[in-house]
Amino acid sequence: MRYLYYPGCTLYSKAKNLDRCARRAAERVGITLEELPSWNCCGAIFNTGSDDIAGQVGPVRVLAKASQLGDRLVTLCAACYNVLKRAGARLNIPGNELERQRVLEFVEEKMERDVRVVHYLEVLKEDIGWEGVRRRVSKPLNGLKVACYYGCLMVRPKEVLSFDDPENPMVMDELVAELGGEPVRFDFKAECCGGYLVVNRREVAQECSMRVVENARSWGAELIVTTCPLCQYNLEMAQKSVGARRNLPVLPVLYFTQLLGLALGLPEEELGFEDNKLNPVDFLKEKGLL
Amino acid sequence: MNRTPEELVREIETLSGQRIADCYQCGCCSAGCPIGTAMEPPPSKAIRLLQLGRVEELLQSEGIWLCASCLVCGTRCPRGVDYARIAEACRLLILRTKRSVVDPDCVVPADLEDVPQQAFIASFRKFSV
Ligand code: SF4
Ligand code: SF4
Repeated sequence: MRYLYYPGCTLYSKAKNLDRCARRAAERVGITLEELPSWNCCGAIFNTGSDDIAGQVGPVRVLAKASQLGDRLVTLCAACYNVLKRAGARLNIPGNELERQRVLEFVEEKMERDVRVVHYLEVLKEDIGWEGVRRRVSKPLNGLKVACYYGCLMVRPKEVLSFDDPENPMVMDELVAELGGEPVRFDFKAECCGGYLVVNRREVAQECSMRVVENARSWGAELIVTTCPLCQYNLEMAQKSVGARRNLPVLPVLYFTQLLGLALGLPEEELGFEDNKLNPVDFLKEKGLL
Repeated sequence: MNRTPEELVREIETLSGQRIADCYQCGCCSAGCPIGTAMEPPPSKAIRLLQLGRVEELLQSEGIWLCASCLVCGTRCPRGVDYARIAEACRLLILRTKRSVVDPDCVVPADLEDVPQQAFIASFRKFSV
């Protein structure tokens, strides 16, 4: 199966490991990710001002480009997923025809058809199916206790994202179970990590992130998985600074694609652990997974 | 800004697409806000200020710049009020006077090396002119 794929800016730089593992793991389960040609930044966050048309230009151009090649676009970064979906929904709100026309005129691209933005996890669940994933697992996770952290962008606003339950999403938990791991109950799976506040209010973001990590630990997690480069960064950095100051033990934070790649038997050099700020290699060796 | 409180509230309602009077002050939004005590005023109190016509107080507060757009408040509001959009409307009123709160020129090289692009772009879009 071939899919049109939108990596987004961060997966080309700070989150190369998220992208690379996803592409390799996809091959293993029989998917080819075909990168959308000449894509641009989606804008990283959705602008909500009712007259804020400039903020829609980036994501709408991406959707228009995609619409010329297919009717579905796969994303991996939780922020891209959120922004593209919301921009598409805003464009289709009845009564918004004038804005639609102005934005499309500005981007000078034709919208050939509606594009459904789907997350990689949705492709795994709906198209490959859990059974299909399970069949290709060559290195089961040995009951590894995993906290699946979704953050905000995957599940809210629920009317538009329709991805999973906004308070208790389960799709990543289901995947981890199929890979042989044990998803732990985790009350902060959709709590905010502080997001972009890390740029100008680092201490506030770190407090948010530490609450998430400590909640995961209190439910017995040995590892956290995420699908957002910013969540991953915040959870790791908070532990490196606040966590270290408070002498708290470290919980490794992996992209779910790294865990998927591991279970599908990708070689260690393809899993990109050297780019994780809290290197999980020793821990995974201890667990007999590397 | 030489607008009356009434004009400002109307503008915030237009920009945010929310009705200030819809809020019945149950506090669910503030209870769930992950920024918690750091956000002053918290969502429900911010909306109360608007209901009381104390718009300038909210526009001058720090709280509107501490929203991480996590959307917990709006998701849990029993009245369908999305405070994240109200906070954004307040910020827009200020940003449109050409006053940034985060200056992209002030990013330090160490952060450039480290922080994901996504965070910079999002922060500049929410907090800069
Ligand atoms: S949850 Fe909704 S109704 Fe309750 S205080 Fe907040 S905005 Fe008002
Ligand atoms: S969207 Fe903003 S105000 Fe609402 S709960 Fe999240 S951080 Fe708090």
